[in-house]
Amino acid sequence: MAGSPSISRRLLFARIGTYVALACAVLLVLFPIYWMVITSLKLPREIYRVPSLWPQTITWNNYRILLEDKGFLVALRNSLLVAGSVTFISVVISSLAAYSLARFRYRFRGFVGRLILFAYLTPTTLLFIPLSILMARLGLGNSLHGLILVYLTFSLPLSTWLLQGYFRGVPKELEEQGMIDGLTRFGALFRIVIPLSAPGIAAVAIFTFTGAWNELLLALVLITSESQRTTPLALNYLITSDVLPWGPLMAGAVISSLPLMILYFVAQRFMVQGMTAGSVKG
Amino acid sequence: MTQPRTASPKPRFSAATQDQLFAYGLVLPVVLLLLGLVAYPFFYAIWVSFTNRVVGNDGVFIGLGNFRYLAGSPAFFSAIRNTIVLVVVSDILKLAIGLGLALLVTQKIAGRGLFRSMLMLPWAMPAFVAYLTWRVLYQPIGGGINLVLTQTGIYPEIVDWLGQRQTAMPSVIVAAVWRGFPFWFVSILAALQTIPGELYEAARIDGANAWQRFRAVTWPGIRQVVIITTLLSSIWTANSFEHVWLLTQGGPSDATMVFPVLAYFGMQTQRLGEAAAVSVAMLPVLAILVIFATAMMTSREEQD
Repeated sequence: MAGSPSISRRLLFARIGTYVALACAVLLVLFPIYWMVITSLKLPREIYRVPSLWPQTITWNNYRILLEDKGFLVALRNSLLVAGSVTFISVVISSLAAYSLARFRYRFRGFVGRLILFAYLTPTTLLFIPLSILMARLGLGNSLHGLILVYLTFSLPLSTWLLQGYFRGVPKELEEQGMIDGLTRFGALFRIVIPLSAPGIAAVAIFTFTGAWNELLLALVLITSESQRTTPLALNYLITSDVLPWGPLMAGAVISSLPLMILYFVAQRFMVQGMTAGSVKG
Repeated sequence: MTQPRTASPKPRFSAATQDQLFAYGLVLPVVLLLLGLVAYPFFYAIWVSFTNRVVGNDGVFIGLGNFRYLAGSPAFFSAIRNTIVLVVVSDILKLAIGLGLALLVTQKIAGRGLFRSMLMLPWAMPAFVAYLTWRVLYQPIGGGINLVLTQTGIYPEIVDWLGQRQTAMPSVIVAAVWRGFPFWFVSILAALQTIPGELYEAARIDGANAWQRFRAVTWPGIRQVVIITTLLSSIWTANSFEHVWLLTQGGPSDATMVFPVLAYFGMQTQRLGEAAAVSVAMLPVLAILVIFATAMMTSREEQD
């Protein structure tokens, strides 16, 4: 590094400043996560009476309390069921739609594209009242089936929007070659386009799963009986009770973020690409 | 379409028509579901907002009755003010933090991949988990923030962050920024990486200082992403329910009341007409944001 000493010293200071700023930011990001984890591992005495930044004794008591209450396990199962079904349904039917939008030119294509964006940007806040009326009328109120159906309102637009971007990236020539070799249109979609867009489809599946796993407002409005509660709902009712169950609450928080955190570390690269391609809400 | 039926050995439709039908068939399920589950409820919400519907009674058209009622309700004005404050302040903070960190991480420094993954963590956490955690953090008893402030001596007194009018809104904003900044950070980071390094070289050779380089090279490269992110983030923040619901439920005494929570309370009291009117009342502003966002996102799509 040639250069006058004052310039290199300035660079050195700038570099140190960068690291200090980033370290502070990481600390601020990690502290709440740290607090969630240690609160879930603390005895009530250490949470309320003699609070400490480091737990003196580690206990699995909060997890035991939470899991012995069958309600939380049922809620976890319901959440897995709902998020899994929503993901499967919406990946399948939005793949078809996305392929149609990415490959063909037709009269209502622009209209469909606009409908999808409009649906993507229409907030749940506006839809939850009419949707609850609609689900009651269809006999799907207070049921996981109804929940799966209404979750399609946010999952379908997002997955179709993202998938059409991925499908456009698959060269048309590959498909044409496949069709010359005897594949049908469907064959070309399933044997060529979908395998080549696998990373994109994985990202879309993760986003859809996450969206359904996290949803609170529609579940709060539609689900009335305890046996149909999803995880966010079960934890929501934990804080509206009179006692302060911080220990079990944070145990529930850790358990319900675990699947997503694991997904995040495994598939981070795809997810970041997908997020910046389609502007995915958190 | 006008294929003669007598030409039996030929397929009924030409290849081009077959493709068209195929294309319509593929897109049909999504279109029907979105018309039924988004478009119909959308207009239905507007209709309900003009009726005095309650649970169990469809009610009748009462014109602007619900809106007139809202105009006289203090909670509604709190919701307007708080929603604006929440959106504007948190967007500004998320932009500043997201941009700042993106500029730091985009430098060639050791460990930038690790920094990036760490800074993204709040986004990977479920929103309800994040806000429940912040709820615990803010507690006077058992909360980490009071503990850190008193033990380090920065502020010696225990504060009930979510329970006081003056601190409730700033506390909600801090939690929302913590959870929301990674989206800005990553979007801006991705845009920064598309700016060719030669542009910076050229600017440096021309003798531009850091601020001039930012103005002339960095900003034009990220402007579009910043605008789209601002629009999307404003729409989402204005319509988010869980941050306020899980932290304060709109309290204390409406200090953090926002539109979605007010609409939910309306629904809980079974007055559907009024509740619908609350969410419809924010529609004009929302529509403007949505129209701009749609236009920008389609134009970006077409550029690609």
